[in-house]
Amino acid sequence: MNKSLFALALTLGLGSLASVHAQQAAPAINDAQIAHIAYTAGAIDVTAAKQALSKSHNKAVIEFAKEMARDHAAVNDQALALAKKLGVTPADNATSQSLAKGGSAEQTKLAALSGAAYDKAYAENEVAFHKAVLAALDGTLIPATQNAELKSLLETGSKLFHEHQMHAEHLAASLK
Amino acid sequence: MFRSTILAVGLLALGCSFAPAFAATPATASATTQAKAVHVIVLDKMVFGPMPTGVRAGDIIEWVNHDIFEHSATARDGSFDIDLKPGATVRTTAKAGSFAFFCKFHPGMTGTLVAK
Repeated sequence: MNKSLFALALTLGLGSLASVHAQQAAPAINDAQIAHIAYTAGAIDVTAAKQALSKSHNKAVIEFAKEMARDHAAVNDQALALAKKLGVTPADNATSQSLAKGGSAEQTKLAALSGAAYDKAYAENEVAFHKAVLAALDGTLIPATQNAELKSLLETGSKLFHEHQMHAEHLAASLK
Repeated sequence: MFRSTILAVGLLALGCSFAPAFAATPATASATTQAKAVHVIVLDKMVFGPMPTGVRAGDIIEWVNHDIFEHSATARDGSFDIDLKPGATVRTTAKAGSFAFFCKFHPGMTGTLVAK
């Protein structure tokens, strides 16, 4: 995913939270929307991983993509189960839509590449993607979450994204 | 009456012949269990739980993955590499020494197992 586009989506979608919280007003974003954003971010990375598995022949890239698909699918399955348990329907919102649009654009861009150029672009995008989502999780989404179980899941998700970011950085460095 | 007597004798005979065999099995299992203490290491929420203390060589280490992710317990010296799928419980036998390990999928997850 384009780094600047992704950062922009998160900033535009969530940037108003800080000022709203400072005024002690009602949260600008609710748990149903937060769940949708987190789910969307996970789904984007699963889709990117599936594309990598269909395009790459690099063993390290393939192993990384398998891990991304497996881990993010596990978080999203858990998120859906939690939403069902809580009787909450994840609510689509502007940030989710921006994320999905950016993810789709990046997929198209990566689809045009092949071989080492694709591997490098995929790895670099994974670094940027995880960094951006991690910043949003830690800086905005987790602090704004009201439900304790959702907050706990997002905190686990934050640890996961941190691990994935490091893994992506190592992968990107090895492909240079 | 005659039929019930035969039945009773038969049951007694069965009891006498099988009882020693049944008694021997639990005794052996008990001796084995006493010799090998079981120490549990729980994985959850991207973290290895507290390491057991007082582990002796030959004790059982029970790795329990309560997390939603697949993990591994992989020794840095290569002495073990345990795959732990979500919900899995895997038992290994402790060897003497200090073993630093990590999850090969999420290397930030680490621990050190010490056995004497």
